[in-house]
Amino acid sequence: MKLTFNWLMELVEVPDPAAFGPDELAERLTHAGLEVEAVKPLSDDAGALIVEVADVRPHPNADRLSVCEIHDAGEPRRIVCGAPNVRTGMKTAFLRVGAVLPSGQAIERRPIRGVPSDGMLCSEKELGFSDDHRGIMELPGDAPAGTSLQEYLGLNDWMLEVSITPNRGDCLSVLGLAREIAALTGGRLRVPAVPDHLRNHPPAIPVSVEILDPVLCPRYSARLIHGLRPAPSPPWLRFRLEACGIRSINHIVDVTNYVMLETGQPLHAFDAQSIASQRIVVRTAGEANTLTTLDGSDRALHPDDLLICDGDTPAALAGVMGGAGSEVTEETESVLLESAHFDPLTIRRTAKRMGMHTEASHRFERGVDPDGTRYAMDRAVALWEQLGEAQVVPGFADAYPGERKPAEITLRYASVKRALGVELPHDRIHGIIESLGIEIKRSSDHDLVVSPPSYRFDLTREADIVEELARVHGYDNIPATLPAVRMGIQGDALLRWVRKTRSLLTAEGLNEVVTLPFCSAAMNRTFPGLWGEDGKPVRIANPLRQETDEMRLSLLPGLIENLHYHSERRSETSMIFELNKVFSLGSEGGYTERMNVAGLIRGHRPQRGLRAESRAFVFADMKGIVEDLLEGLGHANCRWRADAPTPILHPGGFAAVSAGGVPVGYVGEISPRVREDLDLPTFFLFELDFGAIVNYARPDFKVRPIPRFPSVERDLAIVVAEDFPSQTVIDWVRELDRALIERVDVFDEYTGAPISEGRKSLAYKVFYRSTERTLTDHEVNTVHEDLTRRLCAAFDATLR
Amino acid sequence: MIEALEKLHEEAVERLERCASEPELEQIRIDYLGRKGGKLTALMRGLRELPAGERPRAGQELNRRRAELEGLLDARLKGLRESTETLADGGPRLDVTLPGNRPERGRVHPLSRVTDEIIDVFTGMGFEIARGPDVEDDYHNFEALNIPRDHPARDMQDTFFVSDDHVLRTHTSPVQIRVMEQRRPPLQIIAPGAVYRHDDDATHSPVFHQVEGFMVDHDITFGDLKGVLTHFLEQIFQDEVRVRFRPSFFPFTEPSAEVDIGCILCRDDKDSGGCRVCRGSGWLEILGSGMIDPNVFDFVGYDTEAFSGFAFGMGVERIAMLKYGMDDIRMFFQNDVRFLRQFPP
Repeated sequence: MKLTFNWLMELVEVPDPAAFGPDELAERLTHAGLEVEAVKPLSDDAGALIVEVADVRPHPNADRLSVCEIHDAGEPRRIVCGAPNVRTGMKTAFLRVGAVLPSGQAIERRPIRGVPSDGMLCSEKELGFSDDHRGIMELPGDAPAGTSLQEYLGLNDWMLEVSITPNRGDCLSVLGLAREIAALTGGRLRVPAVPDHLRNHPPAIPVSVEILDPVLCPRYSARLIHGLRPAPSPPWLRFRLEACGIRSINHIVDVTNYVMLETGQPLHAFDAQSIASQRIVVRTAGEANTLTTLDGSDRALHPDDLLICDGDTPAALAGVMGGAGSEVTEETESVLLESAHFDPLTIRRTAKRMGMHTEASHRFERGVDPDGTRYAMDRAVALWEQLGEAQVVPGFADAYPGERKPAEITLRYASVKRALGVELPHDRIHGIIESLGIEIKRSSDHDLVVSPPSYRFDLTREADIVEELARVHGYDNIPATLPAVRMGIQGDALLRWVRKTRSLLTAEGLNEVVTLPFCSAAMNRTFPGLWGEDGKPVRIANPLRQETDEMRLSLLPGLIENLHYHSERRSETSMIFELNKVFSLGSEGGYTERMNVAGLIRGHRPQRGLRAESRAFVFADMKGIVEDLLEGLGHANCRWRADAPTPILHPGGFAAVSAGGVPVGYVGEISPRVREDLDLPTFFLFELDFGAIVNYARPDFKVRPIPRFPSVERDLAIVVAEDFPSQTVIDWVRELDRALIERVDVFDEYTGAPISEGRKSLAYKVFYRSTERTLTDHEVNTVHEDLTRRLCAAFDATLR
Repeated sequence: MIEALEKLHEEAVERLERCASEPELEQIRIDYLGRKGGKLTALMRGLRELPAGERPRAGQELNRRRAELEGLLDARLKGLRESTETLADGGPRLDVTLPGNRPERGRVHPLSRVTDEIIDVFTGMGFEIARGPDVEDDYHNFEALNIPRDHPARDMQDTFFVSDDHVLRTHTSPVQIRVMEQRRPPLQIIAPGAVYRHDDDATHSPVFHQVEGFMVDHDITFGDLKGVLTHFLEQIFQDEVRVRFRPSFFPFTEPSAEVDIGCILCRDDKDSGGCRVCRGSGWLEILGSGMIDPNVFDFVGYDTEAFSGFAFGMGVERIAMLKYGMDDIRMFFQNDVRFLRQFPP
């Protein structure tokens, strides 16, 4: 909330006012949990003075200019003025020669159309007070001529912007903050007094008040004022309101706003003539009605909305906004002033439903002092009396069916030490409590019973009182300690895998990215990820952008967006990965989240050093990265298959991979169709189910001894059908489990002449070894010939 | 005899030092140690002409000098050979300023780096890691954290809804509830993860990352909260960082404290009124924290008389931006390679 420093200091007397400037105040409030976000001087003083215009004559050479005479410190001065409103006897603003306007323009002594001007009469706009440039300032007749305008207008002041947390509704007022200052500094509160004649009024007025639901409206107070016609507010009121961010309208509305800022109690002024039935009825809307609020909108009402009615006719949306029909207008002559207390939740729901957020609803939602309605109402009436010829009807209405009993809270001294870790002396505790206006009902050696004032409705439990003690005592005065930690389960397996994954993939040259998980429906349909049947996307009811209103099923859309971003910037090579969550609406309606790891490579493999050749990425580059990753994550033997390709991948460049016996994802080249749809260059990608990989990881292994005898190698080239997977032979040899065959590696694949169409040549290296002796050529040849024969027979292969 | 030996030795050492080539060195060897004309060899021969009493000592001395000279000759030879290799005639000189052949390495994302640093400080203090879902139910995200429906505290966090009772979690605090529902104290837990707010500009991203932490046991105090968080901030921001605790409000803690650190950009230079990072205040909000509210313990069935605890939450992006002097949060999610590659491998 915004308020001014001088206003606050009018309501509290601090021990050392000279040392208590706006910055000191801001520091104290911030340290007490009321964060001051800004401190700004209201206006730079240009040095304007209040003057009376003694004489006005037409300018001899210009129709629109006048030549005025004023008295400045007894000296007569002649001023040329172009304002249409200048007239003899008016009080206005004057700047001497040498002064500088906020715009930077200096006032010079110079002839205007031949007549020298000895200074300037100013408009509000010229002085930087407002945008009003209709004429020179019109000041009230009693404004003291010859004195500082800045001071007269109350502009030698500072605007303070305080961030009030939702629990401190009581501080949404100058009075509330003044109470805090008093408690923090040991100062004294100075509540503006209400004149005695108002206090002695009887509890009755010609308007009756009926509350149908005391829970929703615990209290409704009202007064009737005659002879109150809207007039412009005096400058001090207007400028103070405007400094607090509230537009000045007329003195009727302005006073209600002023008192709301001062006391925190929202007030509403009805045009009394519009309350024809002379009956105020507070009730819920019930049967759907509409109400035109004073901003001119027709509001459809919800049955639970609380209304202020003129008999049966809705007149205002309680606690949120008045109705257009009962608004104060130019014709208003008498006013019914409402000062009421409403249920926070009801006001909040109505305000939310209507999308309205007013100064009143903001306060009611956070809670207002139920015992403050009469004071606020009387304060407003007193101000009206002060400003003009208001005739207060002697009497007031005050229906208070929902009176609350003050809470009683037991505070144990031991609880203070237990929560804060520091022992506060008992008299310190008592002192803080009393400074906050909290009453100490009883006390013993180990506890005390306290009762908070009506405006501290946030204090209901022992912990709330302990917090107040900590806050006022000062967090700085509570020593920092280190707790004893009891040993628990240390180390986090998932974190280790995550870090390992990052280190393996970055070692391969891939950069880690973190993308937003929002995704379009179209992208989710194209990239359904690894969910299979469960791949129904989670939809966001209120997305930031309609086109991305789903949570991603796969990490690929984010990676692809990054690829787009970089190819638009003419970046030739992309190597990226992401390790993050994907989301789905499970078949049973529950929300499921998984960790995936996905990556893509595009362009050329960067080479090391000078003059190194770079080479376009191929499928095997992507597969190799994934092989390394899987081995690093404890899967030495993975199965690669080209069956059941996903539609996003190139049918000729696709592989599904299983690890630990379960399918964990795929690797491949993007399908040309998808690539063209997305307007992308070609790239290779992978996406793996990280949870499954980690779950089935077998990170432990045993070391084999280093062989004592050398191996003997024999090459073997066979010609097979083009779609024959090379791995088949390796698996077959392993199954065969022949003594002396240690292992088989594939080392070449070849198609083209002289191999006939539809077939290819595969070259393997077979390693023979015995653990007992060095093998002879003869031994090896026998086994190798046998192996070759069987292999050809098994796979319809011919030797090359 | 001994005098002659000393003189010979000095002479030999002097020649050795001046010697610049292998043939020259060989000549020195022949001149002193040569079997026929070597000067030292000649002295050896002269031994037997000495009186018997002097012979052993002179013999010893001769042998010592001989061994020494041989050692010097070998060392010199090695030295000569090395310098010849490096300065091979006409061979190209190595430009050592050319870049080395470095394997192309990727970069770990700055958010991962900073999260890891935060995690390491807390695990070092004995905290364990817990995790929770991003799609969270209203109960865990709000209700059980003492944020009832229709409470103005809900305005503090603009929320993405996926259904009437499910949201994208607005903070990592629901992990507190999930852990406490499952386990009993003592607990010292941190929970890193993504959080979501309906917000998007240069200082807000709809997704950002938090690390939540809490500790519950008998007799955990506000002083402990200050101690643990001060230690943490000193570790993360290295050099002497100033820390201040300031009262605030969070529905799930009481008392609550906002934790500020002295501005790391302007270093609280009061004259730099316009510091763009701290906006001239000299302080930066870095953490929200407080003693866990008794209502929260009631929701998870902990005895508020037996246990107390503190909780805190911090924004990873905020810490990363301060550490790396960034002012646009969106850079983290743009993943421009020119940004990512500024972080060393």
